[in-house]
Amino acid sequence: MTPLLRLSGITKTLKGQQEPRTILAGVDLAVHSGESVAILGRSGSGKSTLLSVIGLFDRPDGGEYLLGDRDITRVPERKAAALRSAEFGFVFQRFFLLKHLTAAQNVAMALVNGQGWLPRRKRRAKVLAALERVGIGHLAKHKPPRLSGGEQQRVAIARALVREPRILLADEPTGALDTETGNLVVEALRATTDRGCGLVLVTHDRHHAAKMGRVLTLSDGLLRPTPERVVV
Amino acid sequence: MIRLSGRLRSSVIIGGQGIRARKLRTFLSMVSLFMGVLAVVVVQAGSEIANRAMLEDVELSQGKDGTRQLYLPPEGGAVETTLEVVAGRSDAVALTNATAIIGEPGVKPVNEGGGPVDQPGGYGPRMFCDQNGCHEIDDGTRGSPKGQAIQLELVGMTGDIRAFRPFRPSSGKWLDFGGEPSLAPRLVLNKKAADAFERYRVPAEMRVQGSDVNATPQIVGVVDDGGFMPAAYVRSDELRNWLPVRDMASGDSGPGLRVMLSPSATDVEHTLRARLVASGTPEDRIHFNTINSLERMSSQLTLMRWIFLGMAALVLLIGVAGILNVGLATVGERIEEFALRRAVGTPRLLLAGIVLAETLLTGLLTAAAAIGAGVVALRVGGDMFGSRYPSLSGVEFPWQAGVAGVVAGLVAGVLGGLIPAIRAARIPIATVMRA
Repeated sequence: MTPLLRLSGITKTLKGQQEPRTILAGVDLAVHSGESVAILGRSGSGKSTLLSVIGLFDRPDGGEYLLGDRDITRVPERKAAALRSAEFGFVFQRFFLLKHLTAAQNVAMALVNGQGWLPRRKRRAKVLAALERVGIGHLAKHKPPRLSGGEQQRVAIARALVREPRILLADEPTGALDTETGNLVVEALRATTDRGCGLVLVTHDRHHAAKMGRVLTLSDGLLRPTPERVVV
Repeated sequence: MIRLSGRLRSSVIIGGQGIRARKLRTFLSMVSLFMGVLAVVVVQAGSEIANRAMLEDVELSQGKDGTRQLYLPPEGGAVETTLEVVAGRSDAVALTNATAIIGEPGVKPVNEGGGPVDQPGGYGPRMFCDQNGCHEIDDGTRGSPKGQAIQLELVGMTGDIRAFRPFRPSSGKWLDFGGEPSLAPRLVLNKKAADAFERYRVPAEMRVQGSDVNATPQIVGVVDDGGFMPAAYVRSDELRNWLPVRDMASGDSGPGLRVMLSPSATDVEHTLRARLVASGTPEDRIHFNTINSLERMSSQLTLMRWIFLGMAALVLLIGVAGILNVGLATVGERIEEFALRRAVGTPRLLLAGIVLAETLLTGLLTAAAAIGAGVVALRVGGDMFGSRYPSLSGVEFPWQAGVAGVVAGLVAGVLGGLIPAIRAARIPIATVMRA
């Protein structure tokens, strides 16, 4: 079966003020429909850079990136924006909710992005469905300052899911939450794979990683399977 | 098309949300821009009002723009032919000039020569000049003592001249051209003549130069004709009861014969030309010309308008700098928001559009406020100063000023929002990953 995405020999070198630093040195990764993958790694190991490449925030220096059968290694920014909207959902460590908007308006942000147009009624229905899916439909009219950290992150997940993406990318989504709330959020993320969505979770937390179908570790610029004993 | 529409709608929706989220900042931006847009609105409104006032004045004294006119010396059969051709028409009017003295018989008028009565000395007796020199025209008062009489120009009309020169009514009524002519000629005075009769109470007896008998005129109204010499307007057929056509053509009775025609009255023009030639008027003396009131005054106004628009643009630029400053600060504060929007698929162009939409909406709101202030100021000014300055009374807010205000608001929005929009579009998307 063709994977949702396949990275082959992906390399990325960051050119800062000091010497260039190779972050990704030939990463191989395939994510299938309904599969959840956790990526562990030390700080600065390149987890977020890898997620940036997968999410088309950044382009790799080398290697090949296939989305389904389509080679998107060098996709131009205009098409990348359309792909980010249609194919990917993003959840970040910080929730990035706009304080002046309600939860529903924050979720609708992913629909009002210039990639097609939905009438207000359809937009509202989709937003409410996404909020219901993460269990906070009743908070649609609340603004972020009135929501707890877990609720805010769930609004962010609803925003990521509202366009029904094929791949969900989560970068340390529980980093700003307590353990119990973090567990709820990870469970909400994992539940998205039940509908065939692929999930890539970058985390430091081995317990959360253990809930994913596959656990990989990024070190020295390469992705390797994580031994089960390390995860447990 | 659908995609474009979606992007436009998205930018307006998100721009509106941005404005609502930063009401105070938007208000302060509007304040900084308000004076600039108001200056543009005021200059445009002022120039339009001045334009109209000047046009009305020029049309009052010269004639409406586009009117065709013909001057002829009152010789031969010119007067009779002309009166015959244009009689009873609404698209053409013939004007004959005669000199009249109203008041005590057998005396010289207080304004000998027909000048304004408030001008000391008057114009003196009317003169006629030829190759032998200049001679005084005998109006029947040579050697007479000065008395209670007023000399004025008597304009005979075959129809309503107001179709070509929009006289402003002052009092009484205008001449009725529909009924039978009256034996007591009905006169409408101009304001200078009315002033003279206000100052000097004179007997109602009228001597028309060239006529052997005196008439008793009826003054029915007063109009402002823009003239500065005393004049009275009368129906031609009523004047002809007292001044035969042959005497109108004497050459001493006034400056001549004038015909005014509407631009569409080409058939009258052709007929008149043919009839005049047939009656003995040399063809090379028949010259129709067109009144170009607008062209004449537009050159006078253009320079002034540009000077004031330049000053308004300067004030507007200061407002633009204010919007630009606020816009840059706002983009700096919203880096994460813009990066996030890019992460969820918003194209760079739409991000720029969002920022531009915010500044454009701010510009439009400011324009609406400035136009509203202009309308209110004009109405209040008209009520307060309308009696002192007639050109201000009942003046409507010119739509051109409204358009200029909207354009100024949009231009200010674009100029003030362009650089912030470009910055917003360039925010790297990875900002959200590093936050």
